[in-house]
Amino acid sequence: MPGETLFEPLRWSDIGIMAPELVLGAWFVLLVVLDLLLPGRASRRSWIGGLTLAGLLGAGVLVLLRMIDMNGSEPAEVISLLGDSYRIDDFGSLLKLFVLAGTAVVVLLGLGTAERDSAITDKGEYFYLLLPAAMGAMMMASSGNLITLYIGLELLSITSYVLAGLRRKSLLSAEATFKYVITGGVSSAFILFGMSYLYGVTGSVQLDAIREALPAAVASYEAFVYVGFGCMLAGFAVKIAAAPFHAWSLDVYQGAPTPVAAFLAVVSKGAALAMVLRILFSTVLFAGVGGSVIGTALKDDILFAVLLVAAISMLLGTLAALRQKNVKRLLALSGVANAGYLLVPIGAGVTMTHSNNVTELIFYLVAYLLMTLGAFAVLTVVGRSVGHDELKGFAGMYYRAPWTAAAMTALVLSLAGLPVSAGFFGKLFILLGAANGKYYWIVAVMVLSSVISYYFYFGLVRQMFMRSGDGMLSERERLSVSEYESLDESGSARGRTQAESVIGELAAGVEDGGPGGQPDPAYGAGTAAADLEGRPDGTVRVPVPTGIVIWACAILTLALGIFPQPLVAVIDSVFSILTDFVPMDR
Amino acid sequence: MDMFAKIAWVIPLLPLASFLILTALGRSYRTAGVWIGSIGSLGAFVMSLLVLLERLKPNPVDYSNGFDWITIGDYTLTIGYEVTNLTSLMLVIVTLVGFLVNVYSAGYMKEDERITVFYGYVSLFTFSMLGLVLSDNLLSFYLFWELVGVCSFLLIGFWYARPAAKAAAKKAFIVTRIGDAGLFLAILLLFWYMPEHALGFTMIESVFDNQGGTITEGITTLIALLIFLGAVGKSGQFPLHVWLPDAMEGPTPISALIHAATMVAAGVFLVARTFDIFEASEAAMQTVAYVGAFTAIFAATIALAQNDLKRVLAYSTVSQLGYMMLALGLGSLAGGIFHLFTHAFFKALLFLAAGSVIHAAHTQDVREMGGLGSRMKTTAWTFAIGALALSGIPPLSGFWSKDLILAVALEENLLLFAVALAAAFCTALYMTRLFVLVFLGKPKQAEERTAGAKESPAVMTIPLIVLAALAVAAGFVETPWNGWFGHWLTDGAGEAHGSAIAIVCSVAVGVLGVLAGWAIWGRERGAGEAAATLAGRAPGLVRLAERKYYIDEAYEAVFVRGLRGIGAVLEAFDRYVVGGAVKLAGLAANAAGRLALRLQNGQVQTYSLAAVLGIIVIVLAVIGRRMLS
Repeated sequence: MPGETLFEPLRWSDIGIMAPELVLGAWFVLLVVLDLLLPGRASRRSWIGGLTLAGLLGAGVLVLLRMIDMNGSEPAEVISLLGDSYRIDDFGSLLKLFVLAGTAVVVLLGLGTAERDSAITDKGEYFYLLLPAAMGAMMMASSGNLITLYIGLELLSITSYVLAGLRRKSLLSAEATFKYVITGGVSSAFILFGMSYLYGVTGSVQLDAIREALPAAVASYEAFVYVGFGCMLAGFAVKIAAAPFHAWSLDVYQGAPTPVAAFLAVVSKGAALAMVLRILFSTVLFAGVGGSVIGTALKDDILFAVLLVAAISMLLGTLAALRQKNVKRLLALSGVANAGYLLVPIGAGVTMTHSNNVTELIFYLVAYLLMTLGAFAVLTVVGRSVGHDELKGFAGMYYRAPWTAAAMTALVLSLAGLPVSAGFFGKLFILLGAANGKYYWIVAVMVLSSVISYYFYFGLVRQMFMRSGDGMLSERERLSVSEYESLDESGSARGRTQAESVIGELAAGVEDGGPGGQPDPAYGAGTAAADLEGRPDGTVRVPVPTGIVIWACAILTLALGIFPQPLVAVIDSVFSILTDFVPMDR
Repeated sequence: MDMFAKIAWVIPLLPLASFLILTALGRSYRTAGVWIGSIGSLGAFVMSLLVLLERLKPNPVDYSNGFDWITIGDYTLTIGYEVTNLTSLMLVIVTLVGFLVNVYSAGYMKEDERITVFYGYVSLFTFSMLGLVLSDNLLSFYLFWELVGVCSFLLIGFWYARPAAKAAAKKAFIVTRIGDAGLFLAILLLFWYMPEHALGFTMIESVFDNQGGTITEGITTLIALLIFLGAVGKSGQFPLHVWLPDAMEGPTPISALIHAATMVAAGVFLVARTFDIFEASEAAMQTVAYVGAFTAIFAATIALAQNDLKRVLAYSTVSQLGYMMLALGLGSLAGGIFHLFTHAFFKALLFLAAGSVIHAAHTQDVREMGGLGSRMKTTAWTFAIGALALSGIPPLSGFWSKDLILAVALEENLLLFAVALAAAFCTALYMTRLFVLVFLGKPKQAEERTAGAKESPAVMTIPLIVLAALAVAAGFVETPWNGWFGHWLTDGAGEAHGSAIAIVCSVAVGVLGVLAGWAIWGRERGAGEAAATLAGRAPGLVRLAERKYYIDEAYEAVFVRGLRGIGAVLEAFDRYVVGGAVKLAGLAANAAGRLALRLQNGQVQTYSLAAVLGIIVIVLAVIGRRMLS
């Protein structure tokens, strides 16, 4: 019973249960100490990346073992600690695997780029800071309690702020971090504010207890319940970069090192999305149980609001991407639109006719992980080869690097949601699910935004195959870029230069001390790829770790596009909404 | 027990592996293509042979296996493979001819810059064709059906620098697409009308087998005719035969593999595979029989007047495919497939021998050849065997299969029997003409060019000898007194069609055709004069046949121009009405995009403002929805 066990402390035997998270924490401390104590230049720290990877894999194995163990009995058991504030269930475990896999891929990407990025001064941090971030995401996945959830979220967020600002020598990175801290802080405040209302009206921070108290609470304090859920939703919408709360993501992705941008786009977004799913499906979904009219209305309203956010994200994300010329910002917008797709199964809710939303969500999350990380991986090599992240950099890719172009085509196919790709089935399952729940308007929005998105996704393909050239910017363009920092037609420079004038003064000294006294090209093109050793000459070189990522992502994307059934079957067999979300004393 | 049938799914994967390896290697390893392509197809052949041998034992059980591909709601799409007597036979035909063509191409394509690409395409084709043969349901069948079409397109246009090759590839693709559209519609109809939307061949068989089932007569006929439309496109039946002769622009080994032995037979195979649908509809069967018979005589007369070596063979292929369709239309599954089986060998042989000639003589025009027999003994002998087999001279394989069809026609429909006899006569006639003009007589003009002609290397002649042996022997599996093949293929339903009249007629027209050919062309030993003689006797007819009955011109006038006319009208509509709407939508999207980017000005204050506005919009929408409901 939750009430009785609420204050039961952790026992030593529970360490085994929390082992994956604890391993990450301990590994993190170990790496920090090693990095500090061991001599050698701080810039040659690839081995830390290797060790980080090993730690992540170890944690992954532990999660997997636990999951197999738990699914041995029927129905699958759920382990809960500390009065259910920390729970190990299949939903959480699937998500942890997602987080660990995503983070591992990001480490591989880092191994392929960090060494050559002179704007990153501390290569060690670059890798081992991903460990607490992953740990935070895993805590979120395992939380059955608003407090645990919030702590996990903050652990993830704060490390992400640092990660985003790792390119210390780059002004753009500093500005991005600044914006990220402000926006992220505000969103955390919103979430906390919403949680406090929810605690106030239900008297508990336990998701189970909230669910039970909700019908009564909504009957007496309807407005407070709405404010609570509304604020939490708004805060989470910022974290998952759903429109209209997404604007930070473009600037932050652009300023952060590309692998970190990939981490934010995939792992942070995925973890936050899963949280929205868990909170809503463990509480609001059952507000109307027992015939409460107000409760049913609450459920409908909140889920409708989620669908609205989804629709706005899809439309705004794709429309804004139409005119976007910077690939990193383009991928950020693609992430906004995809956040919209991923919100649809949450907003569709569970009905008698439609009950496998979680399968749809997790399948598309996996597809999204593959295609987005793959695309970011390609971007790191292309950006490095031409010295900027503009769309033009992909021009003539087919002639310079046919294999990478082929892999990118597969990934873009998936992003656009065309057949023989994981993205196709991911979108199809979500679409059919929404249609099954009779949410035809959101189906229409999905189709519409998909169609619009073909335009810019194929813009990428067109650049690669039908444009010749080495993707280098002309001298004039280079100048204009250095003036405006970005080729956005709206002239994003105006706002940006304000921030520059504040931070720019401080950073100027650092910037002028760029390699060889030359004006730092990174300052001009404003990209992670630019200030690498040597002048970029358009030759595409694919470092081994990046190559592994590109090909693994492309091949898995196609494999899932041909045989989606095995993954669906695994998720279906492992996950059950009743054991995972409504456990214990039901 | 069914050990090899169980692993039959490996067979198509071997050439697929060859294709992937070759694509990965790129163009740099020239000899790799030969080895990897040949080994892949040899492996596939050996396994196919084992599967076939396994099925020769009494009462073999059909083996099928598969898995659920995707489950959407209640509908589960399965994908799998099926081994029956028919499919195992096709497997052997495809892999055997495929392997021999691989070996042959090592000599024929030796000088080509893109030989590795060539082998990659051939492997991809072999994979697709085997996948098509093994498919256990119409949907995956259709996928592979399209894939072989694509491979055919790629290989016809292999020498894409030649405008004729490019045009031929395009024509082949477009014309067969018309048929494919029919097949697709048939699949949609079947999906709609079949119980539980099943598309498996086994299900189709059991549903259509019991007459008066769930599907009405009219729909059955419609489905059968649409399927037949697909077969007409792929198998070059009248009126969609026009692409096949043009497809001869591709390399000759491809003509042998794709456009004689395997892919063009896929249409016949399709009809055989869905034979129960046809059997349920008398009208559809009649259509198949008459279209087949007409194509047989029609193409045979065109072949008489063509002067391009490969084109004669191409029209001959069209004509022989017509024979197969005729047999199927008359209800003889065994007859159609038996002819497919023998034809695959002797026609592949003829094409490869023709390739050997072209390789040596550097021309395809039969009027410029002559006297090559003394220089290229192996080629001449094997070509002669192929020609005699095709002409239906006993005891070569073509005789037995043609005889079976004639015997069936005699029983069923005298008119069609007469047409088939006439086509057989023409066949013997044009094959004799071809042989005389190419191999006998004195070398004609361009002395210095043909003078250097010598026998092709062993890699090219050995496949010829193997195929020649098969062209001699393959017919003995089914003779008028031994109905083993039909019995085996149709699980005992078929019986031997022994008919003395048919045999006599068949032998008579074959021999008469050869003799007549000898009389016209053999005596004079001069093509120009012979053509002149013939043209002098019946100038109009020869000209008509030479111009292929003006079918291409008619299509040009009626369809291409007509469609262009309609196209012009539609284009105007499209440009001003649809285009305007699209442009408007595009402009709107663009404007919205601009607006969305305006938000992205780099200032956090603006971002927050947008978020607040967004919240207000969402709250208003939620309230509005509540008020409405």
